Amino acid sequence: MIERPLTVDGITLRDAWKSFRTAIGLGWAIESNWSDPFLFAIYTLAKPLAAAMILVVMFNVITGGQGNEFLQFLIVGSALWNVVFGVMGGLVQSILEDRERYRMMKYVVVTPSSLFPFLLGRSLARILISFIAVFLTLGVGVVLLGVELRPNVLYLVPALILGVVAVMALGIFMAGWCLQLRQEAWSYPEAIAGALYLISGAIFPIDILPSFLHPVAYAFPTTWWLEASRRGLLGHGSPGAIGGLPDGIVMLLLVVTTAITVPLALAAFAWFMKRARQAGLLDMTTGS
Amino acid sequence: MTSYGAPAANPREAAEWSTGRVVRSNLRAVVGRAYPRVIGLTREPSWIFFEILLPFLAVSAFVFVYRALEAPEEFVGFVVIGGAMTAFWLNVVWMMAAQFYWEKDQGNLELYFTAPMHLMSILAGMAIGGLVMTSSRALAVIGIGSLLYGVNYQVTDPFLLVAVFVLTMIPLYGMGMLFASLFLLWGREAFHLAQLLQEPIYFLGGVNFPLRALGPVAGLVLATLPLAVGLDAMRQIVFPGAAEGMLPVGAEMAILAVMGVVFLVAARLALRYLETLARREGRLTLRWQ
Repeated sequence: MIERPLTVDGITLRDAWKSFRTAIGLGWAIESNWSDPFLFAIYTLAKPLAAAMILVVMFNVITGGQGNEFLQFLIVGSALWNVVFGVMGGLVQSILEDRERYRMMKYVVVTPSSLFPFLLGRSLARILISFIAVFLTLGVGVVLLGVELRPNVLYLVPALILGVVAVMALGIFMAGWCLQLRQEAWSYPEAIAGALYLISGAIFPIDILPSFLHPVAYAFPTTWWLEASRRGLLGHGSPGAIGGLPDGIVMLLLVVTTAITVPLALAAFAWFMKRARQAGLLDMTTGS
Repeated sequence: MTSYGAPAANPREAAEWSTGRVVRSNLRAVVGRAYPRVIGLTREPSWIFFEILLPFLAVSAFVFVYRALEAPEEFVGFVVIGGAMTAFWLNVVWMMAAQFYWEKDQGNLELYFTAPMHLMSILAGMAIGGLVMTSSRALAVIGIGSLLYGVNYQVTDPFLLVAVFVLTMIPLYGMGMLFASLFLLWGREAFHLAQLLQEPIYFLGGVNFPLRALGPVAGLVLATLPLAVGLDAMRQIVFPGAAEGMLPVGAEMAILAVMGVVFLVAARLALRYLETLARREGRLTLRWQ
């Protein structure tokens, strides 16, 4: 007769760390080891650089290369946006791949660990790749395009940390949401990141947007993260109204919007997971 | 030789098809493969939402950049036309080039190889279905973009515009057919390759700015990328005063015609190689490879 313990322990911090670590290895293997290294390197470098170069050529066609301040605004915004695409895309792609393609999610869910640390670890490879893209784009901006970086580390580091936390929270929310969808879940991160790209002042000042979109733009942490990061990297803010705000206010707004976004996103993810269990969505395959 | 309905006397006779039957079977394969893409337009409305929303978001972002730079209004039109053509390019990359790879994952590829039809028929069906599906998306991008951003088109010769569009689509989808074989050979990298064929191609193809702005690189692009050639020609027709093309429209049409032949022949050769490989090594039916 098998002796069963009277109580079953819940997930410990050690379990979560083990799960997280294993998932990092798995994510990296899927992202890089399964690809030809040369192709992987080109893919990592070419995509973000091309995205930035489109903006540079547009800028040069219109201004003839005059007005370096706007070019700096474009390069920094374009570079940092790689993180949003990487994080949101990474989290959603991971959860959907494991459910639809590799069909492993149900097995992860039934282990003593939780899906949450696994999901974070699994998507970390894409997040790291997105940071490579940030450094690369900024590097090209500095070396070839005359972007002058005047980093203020004390301002930049907290801005980056808060921004990445906020973006990860949005990604976790998206991952939970996409579990609920029947079709087109793969397109959601691109659509949401595209919409945020439009309203967060990534490549043009928010003032250019129709006025009814201004409150929406100010409500998202991505807007304040980009603005704070620009100030931390370039020593000055964006063109337009938002650039006139004091540094302290921008940081405060980043803290406030992040502090609201993170618990909301985590609560939503927990609810989405509960619903996914109840509705049998964890092992659903949509064929999409 | 046998025809439908007439029982064959022996297996050899059953295998000998008349030319008419071969043509009919292949035409049926074309229609069959195009059908889900066309009918999908009405069966899954969420597709339409994303098909329109995604390019529209990108178009809007670039329109606002030009507005922030106080660019002439024609540039807004360049972006809208570029956004519409991007829809076709995305269709070629994700639903032509990467399609055989997805089909392999879903277990359909071996059915294609064993069915009594040519794989080119499957690719042609995918292209026709994709073209119909994407045309709705491109038209929506042009319609919404033009209404919201007030683009003025000055099309003096609509027939020429249609001719350029058709001539652009042939090499574009021919390229997709070629990539379908190559993506399958390159296996797991299909996702990375598809991603790689987005922003770098938008940049090289002059999707958001006149191709001329690329300088000497534009010459190389003209010789290899049908999207860029077609877009350059269409902009000259739609914005006659503002768009200074790389070459006259007639010359660009000739380039597109040559590209059409080259890509279709290359696709045929690549498929033949792929089929040989499939039979010799058998690895093309392995999932996730």
